Amino acid sequence: MDDRYLKNKRILLVDDEKAILDMVADFLREDGYTQVRTAGTAAEAVAAAEEWHPDFAVLDVMLPDGDGFSLFERLRRFTEMPMLFLTARGEDEDRIRGLGLGADDYMVKPFLPKEFLLRVGIILRRSFKGEDPLVRLAGSRVDFSRAEVVRDGERLPLTAKEFAILQALYRNAGRIVTIDQLCEAAWGENPFGYENSLMAHIRRIREKIETNPSRPVSLVTVKGLGYKLMLEGK
Amino acid sequence: MSSIAKLTRRFVGILSLSTFLLLIVNFILLLVIASSQMPGAGPWTVARKTAEALRKTEDGYALSGEMARELDAENAWAVFIDDDTRQVAWHTENLPAEIPMAYTLSEISGLTRGYLADYPTFTGSAENGLVVVGFPKDRYWKHMNPAWDYDLIQNSPYILLAVIGVNVAVIFLIYVAANSRLLRSVKPIANGVQALPTQEPVYVRERGLLSDLARDINRTAEILQAQRAGLRKRETARADWISGVSHDIRTPLSMVMGYAGQLEEEPGLSEENRRKVSIIRQQSLKMKSLVNDLNLASKLEYDMQPLHPQPVNLVAVARQCAADFINADFSEIYPLEWNTAGSPAGCVINGDRDLLCRAVVNLLNNVRSHNPDGCRIFVEVRTEGGEACVAVEDDGAGITDEQLRKLRDAPHYRLSDYGTEEPCHGLGLRIVRQIVKAHHGSVDFDHGASGGFLATMRFPLRAGAGPVGRDPENPERQADGPPRP
Repeated sequence: MDDRYLKNKRILLVDDEKAILDMVADFLREDGYTQVRTAGTAAEAVAAAEEWHPDFAVLDVMLPDGDGFSLFERLRRFTEMPMLFLTARGEDEDRIRGLGLGADDYMVKPFLPKEFLLRVGIILRRSFKGEDPLVRLAGSRVDFSRAEVVRDGERLPLTAKEFAILQALYRNAGRIVTIDQLCEAAWGENPFGYENSLMAHIRRIREKIETNPSRPVSLVTVKGLGYKLMLEGK
Repeated sequence: MSSIAKLTRRFVGILSLSTFLLLIVNFILLLVIASSQMPGAGPWTVARKTAEALRKTEDGYALSGEMARELDAENAWAVFIDDDTRQVAWHTENLPAEIPMAYTLSEISGLTRGYLADYPTFTGSAENGLVVVGFPKDRYWKHMNPAWDYDLIQNSPYILLAVIGVNVAVIFLIYVAANSRLLRSVKPIANGVQALPTQEPVYVRERGLLSDLARDINRTAEILQAQRAGLRKRETARADWISGVSHDIRTPLSMVMGYAGQLEEEPGLSEENRRKVSIIRQQSLKMKSLVNDLNLASKLEYDMQPLHPQPVNLVAVARQCAADFINADFSEIYPLEWNTAGSPAGCVINGDRDLLCRAVVNLLNNVRSHNPDGCRIFVEVRTEGGEACVAVEDDGAGITDEQLRKLRDAPHYRLSDYGTEEPCHGLGLRIVRQIVKAHHGSVDFDHGASGGFLATMRFPLRAGAGPVGRDPENPERQADGPPRP
């Protein structure tokens, strides 16, 4: 998939440690993100958000002039941008509180740059997919806005279940999504016992997206665990 | 209130037994005394024998010498009253003067039943007359009117039983009245003593028979409570300290890990330097899991980690952990094989999903820390005799028998024993142990089939666990409506 358009998104980093700010900004720039700005306090962050209108924010929880959770709520009052907590607070309660507020992800320091960039990519893809409706796979394109697969100029509609499954895979593109997660995406709570149905749906998705459904290259099986959606060129 | 009930039972038992024994002892005593009252013959026998020993001779009546000596020994006298004349036809030498020599019928009837001139008299019938033997006045007491209702004698067994019953009832009443006050004051004391080992605050009212004991219990309870609070405070302080340290170390560690991770990707890096940077990154990863583990271990140790039990499908948990592990394994030197046959939908236990996940992740991380050059990992979830098992095995370096023995014998209540000889071989597995223990399960370590390390966790299956949800044959029947835009 061509996600170059995501690299131009404005990213605001908030952390009280200058060294961390510099490092994370460095990671992002090196990964191709062109617009990264940093803030050392909650006040600076609010000011930057009001004036610069970032598309995405990475928040620390411990700030000199308040905590990240209330900063999240303040920002949420005037912006819908996705936000990720990147913090040293690793307690379950903190994680649940952060995600409960509506944060898009919660990462605990220390972290590997690769994982951080992957998660940022996933959030941005999920949040701004509308701007690039066509997801490029090896043998086809998926148009999520119309729930269709485009292959060789032909448009093949996706059923609701196929759509939900494919979307869950796309949101975690390149990573294994477990059978249980896919069942939950398609059938909701208590998803146990739908594995055979899932296999049937996967088969039908492959018939639509793969050039050779019996030798899939885009929707790969990870034996026993789940499935992985490989984007073109990745 | 089992000890009070036991106490009452014991008391009643002792009481019943002693009553019964008392009856028997009394009966035996009575028998002994009664038999000692009759050395040789009784007065009636003496009279009968006297009558038999009296012979009519030509000189009148004569008593055999032996019988005469016997009467002398008893200090008794005897007369023979003739049937026809009602006159005394014979008497012993020692006949008191006040004894009449002629009798009317009513006098005879009187002396038969009772006394003659205050001498207790006994009769024996002889040929043509009646022998009357009189004993000294203080020798016998005679009951003059020995007659009872026929019913009384006929019902005597029942009456006896009724009397015993009434006696027993009266004794019990007395016992209950006397002891209920004691029991009433013992009960709160017993309650207090039983409550002492619990975490509940204890107070016993200091009144009644045992107020001293109550006061002592209250004082003990206060001391225990204070000690508990102190201990708790210290544990909290320790856990807080660990939590604080592990928090503070995260930011500097982020820098180490972050830059090492970035540097490793640098294209111009020499092979040697890349290896060094890779070691820095790996070690910082170890430190990360150490920091995480330290905090959780101290919380589990001091029961400060709240458990949120709910039905959890172990297959889903293990699958998620395995997928996360593969997703995060950028080096791709730890290929993971999912050996679970099919999908045991019945593998549901009652547990805390996050903690169970942590246990599996720790087992996977353990493989990684001990096999820095990579190895294959096998994950299996199965049900086995009412238990759900999660096994994580590798074909890596494995451990020696000695290490295995140490690992199995390691006490899981001491924080400091680990990590001294074998760095990193501690907290991770220790947490696995703690989590398994919190779920009433067990964990076993062993050599793997291909020389590596094998860890198996076992948890009791949830009662009534079975397939959850449905797996319809035909997925078309599912709500496959129009696609969502």
